[in-house]
Amino acid sequence: MHLTHELELFPGHKVTQMLFRDVKNATELRQCAVEGKINGALINPTMLVNPFQVLVAANKAVNSQTNGKMKTRSLYSEIIFNLSPTNNISEAFKRFGCSDGDDSVLVVLVHNNDESQLLADITARVSGRQVPVEEVSSLTDHAKIKKLYKVTPEEEKSGTLLDAVVCRMAAKDVM
Amino acid sequence: MAQAKSMAAILEFLSKAELLKQGAEARVYRSNFLGRPTIVKERFRKQYRHPLLDEKLTHRRTVQEVRSVLRCRRAGISVPVVYFVDYTSHSIFLEEIEGSSTVRDHIASAPRSASCEGLEPLAERVGQVLAKMHDEDVIHGDLTTSNMLLRCGPEDGESELFLIDFGLSYISALPEDKGVDLYVLEKAFLSTHPNTEALFERLLKSYAVSSKKSAAVIKKLDEVRLRGRKRSMVG
Repeated sequence: MHLTHELELFPGHKVTQMLFRDVKNATELRQCAVEGKINGALINPTMLVNPFQVLVAANKAVNSQTNGKMKTRSLYSEIIFNLSPTNNISEAFKRFGCSDGDDSVLVVLVHNNDESQLLADITARVSGRQVPVEEVSSLTDHAKIKKLYKVTPEEEKSGTLLDAVVCRMAAKDVM
Repeated sequence: MAQAKSMAAILEFLSKAELLKQGAEARVYRSNFLGRPTIVKERFRKQYRHPLLDEKLTHRRTVQEVRSVLRCRRAGISVPVVYFVDYTSHSIFLEEIEGSSTVRDHIASAPRSASCEGLEPLAERVGQVLAKMHDEDVIHGDLTTSNMLLRCGPEDGESELFLIDFGLSYISALPEDKGVDLYVLEKAFLSTHPNTEALFERLLKSYAVSSKKSAAVIKKLDEVRLRGRKRSMVG
């Protein structure tokens, strides 16, 4: 169901993704996230193409944290910020973070070891149905993503949408 | 010092990766990153340089490379996807183009007798891709047949042509810069692959047809050819 990947560059840092659909308490979840009560990043899955994208954002976030060079205040907000093609932090949260009224949410956790407790905590908090993370591609809003990332028609012909998105995420700080 | 930490993490990762090549500026490794086969290009320190200068230069080269790759991608040119860039170790993590060979190897291994016939479509495609790149005002800076990869497609499908190694690239609209870019390729091409003048001509013709601004560029190329070593600029 959930997907866990240990960051090759930062052994001991495992990134777990969990996807929920038919979520009824998005407002409450968002509030908890803002207050720091949830130990994870809550992402709007319609803005995601593939779980790989989340790994790229998480890796970059842990790298920035290791250097003491994060642009936001916490690792989880940094992951959300890294997903965005712009440098505007509040815009990133608005677009990529979960909003009130969302009916699906992707939760990202970065942890050391035993995840079973963490997973249970999250599942308890979310009022929804957990589904395999791979299902995120069925929730993708391609049109919105193409528009936000300004993907050109030529680019679409020669590569995938995921390629376009990941490249922009990786190159954001120099463009 | 906090800044050294991510660099240490990356160097640790690279120590276990497979070193593919060491060039004058960078080491190229192969490994798995975030579950995908990845190439890591690490620009190492040049001890003979003044440290401040070295840092500025290395940083600039890294940034230029990333920008050019993204710019090419936006124009629809096949280039590897950039996964991650670390500015402390000046490392670029890129998609590994699996199952590919350089155009250099491709030309070198083509049978002698049929050498030019079979390779003409390839030359035309290279011309087209370079035209697209120059129309986007990207100057590669190090055009050689070793910096072009061919990935074999499915049996009946066409193979895909990739451009790599944008370390010396920059943005310029000047026909002079584009002409020099082509001149660099011409020199590299003819010295690496003997007796391929006709093939290169084919490439240039394809470039001229595909690029919207080619006339000025070809004119500059002719001018540049007259300069250089052992060339008289008289007349």
